Amino acid sequence: MTFDLFSNLVAAFFTLCIFSFLYKDNPFYQMSEQLLVGVSLGYSLVLTYERVFIPYFYQPIFLKHEWILIIPSIIGIFYLFRFSPKLSWLSRYPIAFSMMSVGASVALSMHTSILVQMRQAMVPIENINLALIFIGTITVLLYFFFSKAHTGIYGQFVNVGKWFMMIGFGASFGLTVMARISLLIGRIQFLVNDVFLALKQALFG
Amino acid sequence: MAEKKSFFEWMQNLDRRWIYLIVALAIIIPLLIPYNSDNVTTPPTENVYQMIDSFAGREDRAVLLSFYHDSSVMPELYPMEIAIMRHCFERNIKVFCLSFLPTGAPIIDMAINTVKEDYPNIKSGVDYCNFGYIPAALILPTVIGMGDNIATAVPTDAEGRKTENLPIMKGITNYNEMNLVVEFSGSTAGAYWLVYARPKFGTNIAVGVTAVMAADEYPYLQTGQFIGLLCGLKGAAEYEKLVDVFAAYRAPGEPLEPYFDEEGNKIVPGRSFSKDILNQPEIKDLIKITPQTEAKFTPEEFELFLQTCPEKDQQLLHQVKQSVDGKFVIDIAKLDKNQFSSLTWEGLNRMTHNTPYKFKVARVGMNAQSVAHIMIIVFIILGNIGYFLQKAQTGKK
Amino acid sequence: MKKTIPLLIVIIGGVIWLAWVFVPHRLIQDVFYGEFYLPWARAMAPFAMLLGVISLSMMHYGKIKRKAPKWQYSFFFFAGFIVTSLAGFIGGTQKGGLYMWIFENMQMPMSATMFSLLAFYMASAAYKAFRARSPEATVLLIAAIVVMLAQVPFGVKISKYIPDISQWILDVPNLASKRGILLGVGLGSVATALKIMLGIERSYLGGD
Repeated sequence: MTFDLFSNLVAAFFTLCIFSFLYKDNPFYQMSEQLLVGVSLGYSLVLTYERVFIPYFYQPIFLKHEWILIIPSIIGIFYLFRFSPKLSWLSRYPIAFSMMSVGASVALSMHTSILVQMRQAMVPIENINLALIFIGTITVLLYFFFSKAHTGIYGQFVNVGKWFMMIGFGASFGLTVMARISLLIGRIQFLVNDVFLALKQALFG
Repeated sequence: MAEKKSFFEWMQNLDRRWIYLIVALAIIIPLLIPYNSDNVTTPPTENVYQMIDSFAGREDRAVLLSFYHDSSVMPELYPMEIAIMRHCFERNIKVFCLSFLPTGAPIIDMAINTVKEDYPNIKSGVDYCNFGYIPAALILPTVIGMGDNIATAVPTDAEGRKTENLPIMKGITNYNEMNLVVEFSGSTAGAYWLVYARPKFGTNIAVGVTAVMAADEYPYLQTGQFIGLLCGLKGAAEYEKLVDVFAAYRAPGEPLEPYFDEEGNKIVPGRSFSKDILNQPEIKDLIKITPQTEAKFTPEEFELFLQTCPEKDQQLLHQVKQSVDGKFVIDIAKLDKNQFSSLTWEGLNRMTHNTPYKFKVARVGMNAQSVAHIMIIVFIILGNIGYFLQKAQTGKK
Repeated sequence: MKKTIPLLIVIIGGVIWLAWVFVPHRLIQDVFYGEFYLPWARAMAPFAMLLGVISLSMMHYGKIKRKAPKWQYSFFFFAGFIVTSLAGFIGGTQKGGLYMWIFENMQMPMSATMFSLLAFYMASAAYKAFRARSPEATVLLIAAIVVMLAQVPFGVKISKYIPDISQWILDVPNLASKRGILLGVGLGSVATALKIMLGIERSYLGGD
């Protein structure tokens, strides 16, 4: 047995532990669920230490002597005071620092999500598709405008948006089915090719 | 009628574990029994392909691949990453890779190592550069900084070498040259590039997304903010097909590696995208996913192929060829690889149009996808028939 | 005091960031962004990670101490966390080490399998819950079925027009509805960002 095959068997064991939940909840599934959380956290911790803590905290302060960076480090430590009932107000400072960049997102999100989309929605209506897109965009927007009651002719006009949304959600659902099945296909491809067929090759040649 | 109704009542109350078993079988069986099928390519995928292909052989153009996902969505995104990398290696296109998630960095390594196995001449720092994991705190500085100077925004690559000294950086300064960013993501695809890189620097952005998100990205596609979109496993299958039909295609007698002609122009092997070629029935031979061992030539093609081989191999090839329906056929499964030079053997392999499994994973998966989709549609229809019959029965009572 | 100063930081910082989008002056681009914000954000970043570590550890420790239901499995959490962390700190993060082996052969398969369970639930829901109870639901299901058929090679065999119809569904009605929703969401997020920047929205600071 090669080391690769052994590693794949370990991966297959944990894969089947998770799949066993489909039959019913059992200790193997519970064990793997907690292991997954623990391993993920341990992985992120080590990588954060190596790629963030060392180059951006330890090296600038202790090797390059940029002592001013002690101030943001202390502010960063305030994050941890979240767990103290008396001193949890200190954790607002690092949160406030990271929320500062919301100022840029006011302008940039307005450009990306609103202005560019509006500009493309206001093109000359040269064919039936563009007309449908125009009507659909307006009716969907108005459907969520609740300051005016959806009654009478206005209500019927706005109802068209509901139909557009149903088709849109239907398309999303169709694609979601493909996405979910793809994830399962990936796991089954692993089990069939890298485990079952490799094991067959190793045992029977 | 009473029997039919009780059958549907039984079906309505079916234990869900039987449904799980049917789903599992519907996927396992097509994977065990591969068959050839064709995935129709769509304009969003073709646009990504054409944009990347336009950089073929150019020193002053590069593609940046951003792996913004973890292993949970790998079945959908990994095949498209492999396909795009294979495209770049086939057509001599410079590739940069990075990931803003810690879980994305090992996926980059896996993808590069997987594709590189078949391209021994591809070198790190020359043909591709892996920037590795860049922490989330540095997304903004990196995305914006690359608009001025890539070597300043990302000083070292994943192997610790200084970016500015790498041979790949010759001719590449910023987004003007690294003109296309392709982001693979299972969540907010292309968000940072869309908000910061495109408005400020005019960078072209394409995304490879899980199918769940694809429908939401169409507004950006229509505005041109995204130049193209690869949608889940289907997008990966379409891209694999395009690579097999165009980038990885070698006409008999064509050199396998890039070369310079008499005027000093770089000629990259493979062929450019063409809608007409896609509609030809002959391309079915190029995209088969069942193992192919026979190299087929017309007599003229055979002569052209022989000219690329050493004389000793030419005599051998004359001996082993068989004539079938006016074509020459060589079955490489019956040959000994050691009898031929590596150049001839590689050429013969190319002519069989056999795609290694790792470059057709998405297309194999799409076969299982077909069966699974039909199964889900049948479930929906059966469930609804049972529901309406039950409703009619309740109405009568 | 406890809320005022953080609010002031957000308001003043937010205005400078807004200026950063439009003003190319070196005082904002180089001094504020390059020499102040970047190094400070980088120095603060590692500590946010510790929040998650402490929070989860406290939760599982509490479960073990209280002997809450399924408390025994919390030991597996600590085992996974401690072994992976030690493997990374002592052995290093290079490929071939225990740390990467644990990630590639335990974390990656388990996380991928968790997501793949959704396919089974979707099939079960398709059978038991997706009902065409109303005309709108019928339209939704028909659109879904057309798009599903178009994704697979089999769909072309049923009718060669199915891929074109599906692409039309994605390019026209789907686009219109997603654009309407995106505009609505965009307006909402800009309004929220503006409220945060002006100090009207304070929920991110938490309670007293």
